[in-house]
Amino acid sequence: MNRIEEAKKEYKAAERKKLMLILVFVVLVAITVPITLGFGVYKISLVDSIITFIQHITGNITNPKADTFIWNVRLPRALGAITIGAGLSVAGAVMQNDFKNPLAEPYTMGISSGAFFGVVIVIVSGACIIPGLTGQSAYMVNAFVFSIIPIVLILLVAKFRKVTPVAMILIGIAVMFLFNSISQVMLLASTAENLADAYSWRVGNTSRIGWSELPLLIAVTVVAICLVWTLSRKLDVMYAGDRGAQSLGIRPNRLRIASMTIVSLMTAAIVSVSGTIGFIGLVGPHIARMFVGSNNKYLIPASAAFGALFIAVTDTIAKVTGPDGLPVGVISSLVGGPLFVYILIKCRSKVWM
Amino acid sequence: MIIDIQGLKFAYTSVPVLNEVTVTIEGPKFVSILGPNGVGKSTLIHCINKILQPTGGTVMIDGESVTDITVKEMAKIVGYVPYSANDSFPLSVVDTVLMGRHPHSTRKSLDSDLDVVYEVLDKLGILDLAMRPFNELSAGQHQKVMLARGLAQEPRILLLDEPTSNLDVRHQLDVAKMLKALSREKDILVIMICHDINIAAKYSDEIILLSRGTIYSTGVPKEVITEKSLREVYGVKSVIIDDDGSPHVILKDSISEAETEEGPVRIAVDREGQII
Repeated sequence: MNRIEEAKKEYKAAERKKLMLILVFVVLVAITVPITLGFGVYKISLVDSIITFIQHITGNITNPKADTFIWNVRLPRALGAITIGAGLSVAGAVMQNDFKNPLAEPYTMGISSGAFFGVVIVIVSGACIIPGLTGQSAYMVNAFVFSIIPIVLILLVAKFRKVTPVAMILIGIAVMFLFNSISQVMLLASTAENLADAYSWRVGNTSRIGWSELPLLIAVTVVAICLVWTLSRKLDVMYAGDRGAQSLGIRPNRLRIASMTIVSLMTAAIVSVSGTIGFIGLVGPHIARMFVGSNNKYLIPASAAFGALFIAVTDTIAKVTGPDGLPVGVISSLVGGPLFVYILIKCRSKVWM
Repeated sequence: MIIDIQGLKFAYTSVPVLNEVTVTIEGPKFVSILGPNGVGKSTLIHCINKILQPTGGTVMIDGESVTDITVKEMAKIVGYVPYSANDSFPLSVVDTVLMGRHPHSTRKSLDSDLDVVYEVLDKLGILDLAMRPFNELSAGQHQKVMLARGLAQEPRILLLDEPTSNLDVRHQLDVAKMLKALSREKDILVIMICHDINIAAKYSDEIILLSRGTIYSTGVPKEVITEKSLREVYGVKSVIIDDDGSPHVILKDSISEAETEEGPVRIAVDREGQII
């Protein structure tokens, strides 16, 4: 009995360690947000930006110009960045789990390409799913609707035909190529201005995010993450494969449809605001896995915290690179790619491959 | 427990695998299912635990048709230990075995579930593997972890697909012995698919021998394992000696296809039940 008690203690200690690691990520996010407020086109020192921020909260504003920049531009952008990072990373974690495949993520499931296709339609023809809508809201509505198409298609096929999880990913990739090529065809004949517009959307950008987009974005993301987290023990059972999961009392397709619907709606909400920020959906969960393992109870919060940190940091770098700045989508791949390869080589045993 | 199978038929898109299987298995007992490759052993146990839907016939567990039992209820009654899980996933051994508690788990049961998991690990002598990642283990260790998961499920009927295939001789004996003891201690019906005739004959209370998609014979090992049955079912020449009351097979030679009456079985089915 003593041996068992000792072994159980070891398990509990490991759980506490995972919890601590998640807390470390959360604290780092909390540190990064005030720091990122100090970076941007308008020059203001780090200390001053934090003072301005505190002054706004206490209602004692001494520098109105700085206050406008900090409060109306940088803070929503920073909050948007951490929400996007957390959401995309969790979406990747759930998709990898659902399809039992380390390559599943919003990109490979066709969600991002669908969103881009929707935006290209607005850019080229000015048409929106909701007639009469123009400008930024037209982009968002179209991106949202079209980003859901690939996943609806995958789930419909899965409902009526017997397909393996790998086949579902292949459908996602096929749809991705289809959407991308149609988008390219439509852009071939368009003006330089339209091309630039499409490009800035394609690479993902947080600079458009203001207070008006935030409430819905944050609400959807927080609710979706909490919902999938309540499913975490069920999601663990999916590692046993479809037959294994069923013999353990789970209906794999039903759980897959439920969890995919939740994270797809969340991803659609995110990419409709930010454009297609790649990489974090794939890599966020993998890096989180190295720290806390694959138990979803810890993996989902760790993915969220790491994703938030990663996009907050890369968005800060994006702002440092100049007035027009490189888009955060470019920076995240530029920084993340080599970092991920390095980690893969260094800690191979902990990675899922 | 009584598993009552009547006229069971199963076909993968028009290729028949099982045909008119009728058998009643009553436990607690340790039962082995034997038969050549592709004869439908895995298909048969998947029809019992509802993973596959039969194309004809009925399967009843304690008088209730399996089609009326929900997936979650089924997981409480019937445990399943798959053939070696070579598709690995990055969970720790404890978390992997903890999956077996899922059908019984409630929001607050994690602690008591962990108790069950650790007791099972201790019983199987793999307590030292508890914190190791599942995908770093050897094939034999995988098999033990899968077995632990099945035991943690605390089912009344335990189905196992070749639980000894990746184990060395000593662990084969240990596992078979443990399964037999388990059927006595916990009063459960243990049904194992096996390719090792001698292991099955030594420990099983009953053997079900399948041939060409249907039951060739069932009964105590002595009745089922005969030189005649091995010749007709497996196409091998053998000598059977008596080993403390159970039959022990000494294989002599395979019979060429021309000598067997109907030729070899032509359907090959892999572990997942897909035709290859």
